[in-house]
Amino acid sequence: MSRWRQSVVEIQTRKRQVNECERAQAALSKVTACFQQMATSLGSNMDGSFLREELEETRTVAHKICSGLHRRLLSLLIEMEQGQEDKEQVERHWVIFLSSLENFQRDLKKVKVLQEIFPLTQRKDRQALINAGYAGGTSEVAARAAMVQTPWLSVEETASLDLKNHIVEIDVLLEEMFQRVNVPLWSVEPTQEAWVEGISTQDGGQEEDESLEDIMEVEVVSQNSTSGCCNHHNCKVGCLLCLLS
Amino acid sequence: MTIRNVRDHGQRYRPRMACLKKVENVVLEMQDPKTGVKSQTQRLVITTIPHAITGEDIVAWIANRFKTDAAEARAMGTMMVAFGYIYPLQDHKRLILKPDTSLYRFQTPYFWPAQQWLVEDTDYAIYLAKRNIRKKGMLELYEQEQYNNLYKWMNHKWDFIVMQAKEQYRAGKERKKPDRVVFDCQERAYWVVHRPPPGTVSAMDYGHDRMVDPNMEEVKVCIMFIQQCIMRPRVKSSVSIGALIKYTTTYKEHDPFLHTCLPSSPWITDDVTYWTLNMPNVETPTKMRVERWTFSFGELLMDPRGRADFRLFLKKEFSGENLAFWEACEDLKWGAAETMKEKAQQIYKTFLARGAPRWINIDGKTMDITVKGLAHPHRYVLDAAQTHIYMLMKKDSYGRYLKSPVFKETQKKAVAPESHRFTRRPSLSPIILRQQEEEQKAKLAASGPVDITQLCRFTAPVPHLAVYTGICEAQSTASPGLMTLPNSAACPSPISVAIDSTPASERRFDGNGGPSSSHFPSIAEASVSEEEKQPPAPKSRMALSLSRLLRRGCNAPSVFASLSPKCAVASGGGKVQPLGVEPLAQPQPRRIANFFQIKVDIPPECRIYPIDSEDEEDDSADTARGGVKEIICPWETVTKQDGAG
Repeated sequence: MSRWRQSVVEIQTRKRQVNECERAQAALSKVTACFQQMATSLGSNMDGSFLREELEETRTVAHKICSGLHRRLLSLLIEMEQGQEDKEQVERHWVIFLSSLENFQRDLKKVKVLQEIFPLTQRKDRQALINAGYAGGTSEVAARAAMVQTPWLSVEETASLDLKNHIVEIDVLLEEMFQRVNVPLWSVEPTQEAWVEGISTQDGGQEEDESLEDIMEVEVVSQNSTSGCCNHHNCKVGCLLCLLS
Repeated sequence: MTIRNVRDHGQRYRPRMACLKKVENVVLEMQDPKTGVKSQTQRLVITTIPHAITGEDIVAWIANRFKTDAAEARAMGTMMVAFGYIYPLQDHKRLILKPDTSLYRFQTPYFWPAQQWLVEDTDYAIYLAKRNIRKKGMLELYEQEQYNNLYKWMNHKWDFIVMQAKEQYRAGKERKKPDRVVFDCQERAYWVVHRPPPGTVSAMDYGHDRMVDPNMEEVKVCIMFIQQCIMRPRVKSSVSIGALIKYTTTYKEHDPFLHTCLPSSPWITDDVTYWTLNMPNVETPTKMRVERWTFSFGELLMDPRGRADFRLFLKKEFSGENLAFWEACEDLKWGAAETMKEKAQQIYKTFLARGAPRWINIDGKTMDITVKGLAHPHRYVLDAAQTHIYMLMKKDSYGRYLKSPVFKETQKKAVAPESHRFTRRPSLSPIILRQQEEEQKAKLAASGPVDITQLCRFTAPVPHLAVYTGICEAQSTASPGLMTLPNSAACPSPISVAIDSTPASERRFDGNGGPSSSHFPSIAEASVSEEEKQPPAPKSRMALSLSRLLRRGCNAPSVFASLSPKCAVASGGGKVQPLGVEPLAQPQPRRIANFFQIKVDIPPECRIYPIDSEDEEDDSADTARGGVKEIICPWETVTKQDGAG
C-alpha cells in the first residue's frame, strides 16, 4: 500500500542514503583496521608521541564516521516500513555497524590500558618499551586511514572526544541502538559464503606475498648451518657481540 | 551481536591468573638496555629483524636476576613463553623455552594476555579469515574446523568479519616488509597461545571462573567459616599418628567390620535384629551404644538417644536451656535460608535477651559480638555463642552426667543381646550362582545328547506327545506359503515338528535360554485349542520352513505370557523349576532344555512382535548344509519335547 504512496523521488533518496551508508561502513572498516595496526606498536620500541598523535587522529576520523553513520542508519531503520524491499540490506548494515562499533570499542579499551602502562612522560619510560622487533613506523598506515572519504566527513562538525569519553560514548550509542531499533540480530543473513575470501583474487600482487612460513623456514635452514652467532660465514665467534653481522 | 557480557574478568574472578602482572614486570625489566637480556639481529633471506634473543640468554638472565639454578630459570622461562610474553621464532607451535641458541622475541604489549577481558571469538574469526585470504584456503585442520564452527556460530556478522579481515590485511600490507613479518609472527604467536592447537596444553587454561565476587560481605563470612572449619595448624606426624592409634583402640570393638556384631550382622545372617536394636530413638539402647557415649561429648550429642538421655539429665538439673540453645543454633546453621532471620530473632528473644525465659549464661564479650552480629543475621551469627555453650556443657555438665543416676539407670537397663547361632546357610551370592550355571552349561555342551527316554520322565507326561504328533501330521500337508504366520498361539507346534524332523545328533545347544519344559504341555494345550492356520511345508521342506516359522510365527508370546503361571502347575516332575517362579535359578531346567539343543535368541520379555520379513540367507545357509543346524526361536524360554518319542 505504501509503495504506491511513495514517490519516485523518495525511493531514489532512500537508495542514495543506503549506498552512502554502505560506503561509510567500508570507510569505517578501513579506519578501524588501520587503527588496530597502529595500536600493535604501542608499548614497543617504535612507540612515541608521534605514534600516539597518529592514533589520536585516526580515532577522531573514526569517531566522525561513526556518529554520522549512526545517525543515518538509525533514521533509515526508524523510517522503514514493513515489507520494504531493502529492509534486509539495511538490517544487514545495522548488524555490521554494531559489530564494528563493538570491535572498535575493544581496541579503544586496549589502547587506553596500554597507554596507561607505558605513559612515556619521562625519559626513563622509554627504557621500559618492549623490544618487539619493529624497525619502521606506521606512517603509511596512518596515511591510509587519513585518505578515507565520507560524504559528511568535512561537512559535519562533531565534538572531539578524548579516549576515555569516547569509550563511554560508544557504550551510550550501543545502548541507544539496542533500545530504539528492534532488529532481530540473528535473523540477518550474510552475503559472504564461507571460505570465499580465500579464493577471490581481487587483491593484486599476491605472487610476491610469500607465506610467513616460507620466510621463517628459510631462516631456520640458514640458522642451522651457522656455527657462529650470525650468518656471516667468517664468523666463528660464539658470543653475541660479534661485530661482523 | 555479542551478548553484552558485562562480567568483569578481573583477577578476582579468574583465580590463578594473578601471576600475569608479575610476569609483565619481569618482562619490562628484561628490556633494559644495560641490565636486560642481550638481543641480536635475526637474519632472514630478505631482511634482518632486530631484537631476537636466544633461549640460553633468557635462562641465564632469569637465573641471575632471581638467584636460582638453571632448571628453575628454564621452567620460569617456559612459563613466560606459555603465557605469550615471549614467542619462539622457530618451531612456533611449541611454547617452551629451549636453553640453546634457538631464537625468541618479545611479544608486543597489544598481544599480551590481559586479565580484564577475555579473548574474543570475533577477533579469532577475523584472524582466520585473514589467514584464509593469505594462504588461499590452505589452513590447518583444526583451523578449518574452527573456521567452520565460527562461521556457523557468528553467521549473522560474517559480512563484518570478512570486511574487517580484508581491511586489516590491506592495512598490514602498507607496512614495510620486515615489520610485516614481525607483525605476522606476533599475531600467529598470539593465537597459538589463546587458541592452542588440539592436543597441546594451554597455560591460559586456569580452570573454572568464580561466579561470585569473593569480596562481597556474605561470601567473605562463608569463606571465613569454612576456613575455620578446616583450619588446622601444622601437626607433627607423631601427634597425628598417636591420635589415630588412640581412636582405633577406643573404637576397635565397636566396629562391626572388625569385631563381631551382636547379635549378628544383618548382611551375613539376613537377620535385622541388630538394626532394630540400634534405631535412633529406641527405648533401651544397647550396651555398646551406651559405652560409646562415654568416649566423648560429641559422641553423646550426635547420637539421638544419647542426646535425649542428656536432655533428661539436664532437665533434672534445671539447666536444659544450654542444650536447647545449642540445638537451636544447629537448626539455624543447617536450616533453610528463608526462615533464617526469624529463627535468629526467636533465638535471641528466648535465650539471649535480658530477662529472656531461658536465658543462657555466656560471657560479656561473646554476648557483645553476638548481639552486634544479630543486627545483620546470617547462618553463622551465633557461632561464637554456640561454641561457648558447647564448651560449657562439655566441661561441666558432661562429667556430671556420666556420674548421674540418669546415666547409671540407662546403663543398667541397656541390653546386651546374645549372639545369634544360626545354622542357616546364607544364600549364595549371584556371582557364585552364575558360575555354577556356566559350569553346568559347559558340562552339557561337552557331553553328547541325552537319552530321550530318560528325559520323558522329567518333562511333561507322555500323553502330550501324542497331541503333538497329531498336530504335526495335520499340518504336514500345508503349503510353505505360510510365511505370513499370524501371531497365533499355534506357533509353537512347529517346534515339535522341527524336533520330529531333526535327528538328535544334529541338535546342538547354544543355550542361553532357561526354558522350562513345562511350557510344552501348555503349548500343546494352547495349540490344540486354537485353530491351526499354519500348515508347515511338506516333510522335505519342513526344515526350511520351520526356522522361518519359528522366527516369524513364534513371536506369539501371548501364549508364553500366559504360560508362566501354568508352568509351576504343569511341571510335575520335580526337578524342573521354571525361572519365572522362583528367584533362585536352579541349573536343572537348563539341562532339560539343553536336550533339545535348539538355539534360542529372543528377549525374555515376550511381547507380541509384528511379523517382519526376516533374512532368508540364514535359512538357505542352513538348508545348504543339509538339514537344520540351527533353529532360532524367537523366544527364549522354550523347552522342546521330543515329539517323536
